[in-house]
Amino acid sequence: MYQQKKKVMPHTAQFLESLHRETETLLQKAIGEWQMLPPEVLSAQPAPTQWSAAQCLEHLNIYGRYYLPAMEKAIQKASQNGTVPAREFHSGWLGSYFTNLMLPKPDGKLKSTMKAPKNAVPAAHPDARAMLAEFIDQQETMLQLLHAAAAVNLNQVRIPISIMPWLRLKLGDTFSFVIAHIERHVLQAERAMAVAKQPVSPL
Amino acid sequence: MQTDLSPAFAHLQATTRQILPLPEPAWIDFAEIWQPFEARRKVVLTAEGTTEKYLYFVLEGVQRAYSLHDDGREATLVFTYPYSFSGVADSFLLQQPSRYFLETLTPSAFLRTTFQQLDDLMLKHHALERMIRLALAHTLAGVLARQIELQSFTAAQRFRALMRRSPHILQLVPHKYLASYLGLDPTNFSKFLGTIRL
Repeated sequence: MYQQKKKVMPHTAQFLESLHRETETLLQKAIGEWQMLPPEVLSAQPAPTQWSAAQCLEHLNIYGRYYLPAMEKAIQKASQNGTVPAREFHSGWLGSYFTNLMLPKPDGKLKSTMKAPKNAVPAAHPDARAMLAEFIDQQETMLQLLHAAAAVNLNQVRIPISIMPWLRLKLGDTFSFVIAHIERHVLQAERAMAVAKQPVSPL
Repeated sequence: MQTDLSPAFAHLQATTRQILPLPEPAWIDFAEIWQPFEARRKVVLTAEGTTEKYLYFVLEGVQRAYSLHDDGREATLVFTYPYSFSGVADSFLLQQPSRYFLETLTPSAFLRTTFQQLDDLMLKHHALERMIRLALAHTLAGVLARQIELQSFTAAQRFRALMRRSPHILQLVPHKYLASYLGLDPTNFSKFLGTIRL
């Protein structure tokens, strides 16, 4: 499953910078492209068993509603307790495992299909506009958290995992994992939108 | 982002010239007082209760001024874009605490100067003081025109007026800020957007 590898530890600033860039890229796409699409494109399911873009976004929003406030609270608490930022971020074995599970392969395909836990399954027909607005809101919050996180120790601050609260991930791993999870479903959402945008062939 | 600053100063000169061409000595002194400054997306430049230290000249990005109501609601007052001035104008000119926030909505680049530097130069060059007065007169005209829109236009008219004035902003910023600027709830904003979609 997880193999111990010798890794180069990134400087905290570079680590946060690369996550910041990924989130900024996603936001530009959501604001510049998705906002301009008719809601029908966001709501179209490529196949009856496949999620629409709006469903992918609702799924992500459900996680965001848990993780963003949890991270914000932890960062605030650490700041009050006089945390000192670490020079380097050392990913934990559990964090690396979760993040790797989420990340797509270099060709953009997903490594494995997963089943969403029951409480993270989106509605059959979510309000596409509202889901996109919330998604954009959450990514703006993410940028602000990444900024605030530069002042705390990413190795010491820990966040309970939503589905297994007795497991606590390092704050740095939580960022990697949550953002990788977002990228995973954004790829899926983009595929759904691409299918919906294709012209319907005449019968 | 902005390494070579000469295009930035060319824009600053073009913008000021449109307001009022400055005599050479005034322009040379004026060009001396600016420093480059960059900020990422969603960075608060001036918080409510603090005094505006800077006058900004926008080179990249969109910014907004907004007031925060007790119940957490935000009212978007104004957007600023390249190549125009930005900053909390009243707090800056009166050097008193701002009643609202100024933040970036997209990654932004600026030139900026301080109140002291600008004030000193305005005392030295009458033409500069005149240029700033004219710039403020245009700003005041814009604020009052918007006041008319807010008080006498219907929601649909406000939406159309924004689309006429700044159609590009639809793809630049999250629509909730546009809805807030127009005094619309997000559902109504989407409805109007649907009517202009191709």
